[in-house]
Amino acid sequence: MRELAPWLALIFHRPGRLVTGGLLILATLLAGMGLLALSGWFITATALTGILLAAGVQASINLYVPGGGIRFFAVARTVARYAERVYNHDTVLRLLTDIRVALFQRLSTADRDRRTRLRGPQWLSRLTNDVDALDTLYLRLIAPTALAALVTAVLLIAAWLMYRGELAVGLALVLVPAFLVATLLVYLRTRHLVYQQTAARERVRTDVIEHIEGFGELTAAGRIGKHAALCLRQAGQITRNEARTDTRTGWNLGLSQVMVNLSVVLALWMGLELFQAGTVTGPMVVLLPIALLGLQEIYSMLPDAFARLGGTLASAAALNRDCAPEPSQGAREQQPHGNDCALELERVTIRFGDHASVLSHYDMAVAKGEWVGIVGHSGAGKSSLADVIAGLEKPAVGRVYALPLAYLTQKTVLFDDTLKANLLIGRPDATDADLWRVLELVAMAGRFVHEPAQLNTWLGSMGSQLSGGEARRIALARVLLNKAPLLILDEPFTGVDAETRNTIATGMMQWLAGKTVVSLGHAPEALPASDRTIRLA
Amino acid sequence: MAEQAESKRWLGALAAHSRRLILATVSAGVVVALATIAQMAFLAGIVHQGIVDEVPVAELSMLFTGAIVAILIRGVAQGLQARYAARCSREVRSEVRHRINRCWQASGPVSMSQTSAGTLAREWLDHTDALHGYFARFLPQMMLAVVVPLMILVVVFSLDWLAGIFLLLSAPLIPVFMALVGMGAEKLNQQHFETIGRLSGQFLDKVRGLTTLQLFGQTAPAAETLRQRSDEYRRITMKTLKIAFLSSAVLEFFSSVAIAVVAIYIGFGLLGYITFGPSSDLTLFSGLLILLLAPEFFQPLRLLSQHYHDRAAAMGASSEIVDRLQGVDRPQPPAEPPHHPESPDIVAVRDVALAYDAARPVLDGVSLVINKGDVIALTGPSGGGKTSLLHLLAGFMQPGRGHISVFGERAGDEAFGWLGQSPFLVHGTWADNLRLTTPGATDIAIETALHHVGLESLIKGRERGIYSAITEDGQGLSGGQARRLSLARVFVASYDLILLDEPTAGLDSDSEIYVLEALHKLAQAGKTLVFATHHQALLTLANRTLLVTEGGVADA
Repeated sequence: MRELAPWLALIFHRPGRLVTGGLLILATLLAGMGLLALSGWFITATALTGILLAAGVQASINLYVPGGGIRFFAVARTVARYAERVYNHDTVLRLLTDIRVALFQRLSTADRDRRTRLRGPQWLSRLTNDVDALDTLYLRLIAPTALAALVTAVLLIAAWLMYRGELAVGLALVLVPAFLVATLLVYLRTRHLVYQQTAARERVRTDVIEHIEGFGELTAAGRIGKHAALCLRQAGQITRNEARTDTRTGWNLGLSQVMVNLSVVLALWMGLELFQAGTVTGPMVVLLPIALLGLQEIYSMLPDAFARLGGTLASAAALNRDCAPEPSQGAREQQPHGNDCALELERVTIRFGDHASVLSHYDMAVAKGEWVGIVGHSGAGKSSLADVIAGLEKPAVGRVYALPLAYLTQKTVLFDDTLKANLLIGRPDATDADLWRVLELVAMAGRFVHEPAQLNTWLGSMGSQLSGGEARRIALARVLLNKAPLLILDEPFTGVDAETRNTIATGMMQWLAGKTVVSLGHAPEALPASDRTIRLA
Repeated sequence: MAEQAESKRWLGALAAHSRRLILATVSAGVVVALATIAQMAFLAGIVHQGIVDEVPVAELSMLFTGAIVAILIRGVAQGLQARYAARCSREVRSEVRHRINRCWQASGPVSMSQTSAGTLAREWLDHTDALHGYFARFLPQMMLAVVVPLMILVVVFSLDWLAGIFLLLSAPLIPVFMALVGMGAEKLNQQHFETIGRLSGQFLDKVRGLTTLQLFGQTAPAAETLRQRSDEYRRITMKTLKIAFLSSAVLEFFSSVAIAVVAIYIGFGLLGYITFGPSSDLTLFSGLLILLLAPEFFQPLRLLSQHYHDRAAAMGASSEIVDRLQGVDRPQPPAEPPHHPESPDIVAVRDVALAYDAARPVLDGVSLVINKGDVIALTGPSGGGKTSLLHLLAGFMQPGRGHISVFGERAGDEAFGWLGQSPFLVHGTWADNLRLTTPGATDIAIETALHHVGLESLIKGRERGIYSAITEDGQGLSGGQARRLSLARVFVASYDLILLDEPTAGLDSDSEIYVLEALHKLAQAGKTLVFATHHQALLTLANRTLLVTEGGVADA
């Protein structure tokens, strides 16, 4: 349960809303119970009075109070239900925002290595599922459990005060186990079934994707049927576990309902004894059992929520792992020794895990204002070197000293946002005129000047579709806007045709005058003009 | 609309397939309802006898026993209902997965490669799982929502027809309720998922670009943007939801009012204030029983409205599954083309024609004999039919006319080596990857194969050798290395025929040399190689070059 702690803290950050929402649910439940219990009381009272009247005995009954009460509860139930749903849905959406924002903040200070290892669409889809599991924790689990406990306690106290101590104790002996059966027992009996489900699902997904990607080779080798059977068997295992979870949940629900109903019988039995002993009136005998029948409504919400708790815990644990802080806060951004030096690499070795090293004992110095090109064939370690220079990766051995820098990664990253927002990431205080100037430089101004929204044109999946080369130029523009004195450009012109590349490279000479530029690429002609070119073996 | 009807039909057929378990679920639900009616009758009877007739509690033990038995039956039936529902959903999902799988097999590698693996996997896993709620909850509840209220109505009518009429008055409203609930729930569902989808999209977009944001020191502003966007979505969503929730409030209102009206009618009837109708026959037993049954009358509807989103989810998922299944079902060629056995020493292509579009055949009247041990290069303009010819030789597609015999067997009947344009590797060790196609390969065979394609340097020095994972520490293989891994699979196996589609396209120079050397070794080992290529070095490797163009094949 410890894995939930940070997320519960986040949820309980809005105590006012949670309590108000809980009270609204409570009002709905009590109005429902009240409606039936009071109606039962009323019917019994009128039946007894009716018998007296029929026998010619003078008797009277106050019809207005119970009649009014019944009408009140009927309306209150409707109003409370509506208010509860609107209010709590709003709360859920707010929690959803809170959780996503908090998670994003935690991820941004988390261990980058781990994120890199997990990179890819699968990690993102897992992240989505995990967050979804936490979003509804309050409405599905916390509120119903708290209210079930509260309403049970209220009924027990009422039984103690209005009937007799023994009755309250007897009811407690049935209802407390019923509560545990609907909550704790469900959790314990399904925990091991659901805890591994998410991981198992992702494994099957990987296998199925591989099955499809390798369809040709597997068919050729005559192994496609065997491999399909493997996927089917794994998926079948997951479905079987789900079915077992559902079945166990169903049995626990049934058992807890049996116990609640038994408490009704018990209340009726002891109530009748009290009635026949002359301690309570007839209508009072009916009141408590019917109220207890109303407990079923809230108890029935519990088993399903607790059956999912195991999965929710797994999700929380996975998110906590994702958010684990950087193990060692290496002191980065050390300034170069020499005054006229912009970048210095000292005997740097780059290696991944137990693989052979990509670079070993590599020395390099770049003077301020110098433009250096680094070329090498694919796999020579250019991008790794760029990552190490930018501080994204740590060298296995050696040190890196660099001025503050801006880094254009090999992968083009644009956000599902406006053109302006995408560019402002490079320099938040840039004016519109600055943005147009840099767009002019990367030969993209013409593309957007005719768009109706101009700088506010939406990029990405929902908006204007950019070609790979266009997206690359926007990403380049973002780096060019940045004020850092040192620029690291990894394959700056991917997907850009030669003519445009030359125009941009010429423009960059002026725009970046005085800055230090280290550009990396597969060949010198893919880079802006350089003072010197280093070839990686 | 037509698409919806298609989904409905398909879901209906699935339901018919699992008819027995659905009926079992519904029957258990009916038993629950019957036991509930009995339980309420016993309780009302106990109250009547104990309070009106003042029978001592000890003498009511028969009724108490009856109530307890009814409660136990109700609990058991409830458990059984859950069990059957779970089994039904499991059976349906397993059936659907098998069907999709059969459809994949039927459509073959060529058409499979036209859709992204992620999409196909999502259909197979997630869309199939989206059917769960429909078969486990919605469908049985839909039937129970008709049967159970009717059962209760019969009981109430037998007790007091006027009270029955009060409930019945709301009965014509039930279809209206259902429509209301349906529309409300549908809207709610749509809106909710749209919002969640957008929020997730925004969130994931930022997470995806987290490194970029970190590099520019912009994570804090991005978090703020995320919060603002989320808040905007919430406000917009809530406006719609306020209206959507009204429909469930209407259901709640009618059921509450119906209970209140019935209670007050019974009360006044018991007092004798009502001088018409059947109310003079009301007793505490019948009055109380009617009251206790009134909420049970509305309960199935309430449950149905809770499960309504299951229907929407299943409809959405099934429409995509149906599209996939139908896309293959229609243009299916005869499953077992007639076989014309030829000599086991040759690959024979006899007067073969293939056309995706009847007006423009890709191959027309192609005849060809390839001897065992030949190394054949197929060359020609792209779109000229090289890949199609390879696919025919692989048996991935069947010719529209003519026939193909591979060493005396039908094309594709015997295992052969295939190297497609996109190499593939599985998550796991080097050994896993090679044993995938040759399960019995020895460690030494695997090491040798990796040596042949020049990948041994990647496992050298690794602690567990061929049992170390391929993708570790985020370092995958380059495209060229992955291609060589696929080639290594061919080395481990002992195929007679090896088909390769552009084996050197897009490779860096290192990988290219390794691939050429490897193919040379295979040729020397007497394997029959057929590859499509433009690459000069590969053309030299071949002992026969065929020009595939304009539907015909000729020696170049």
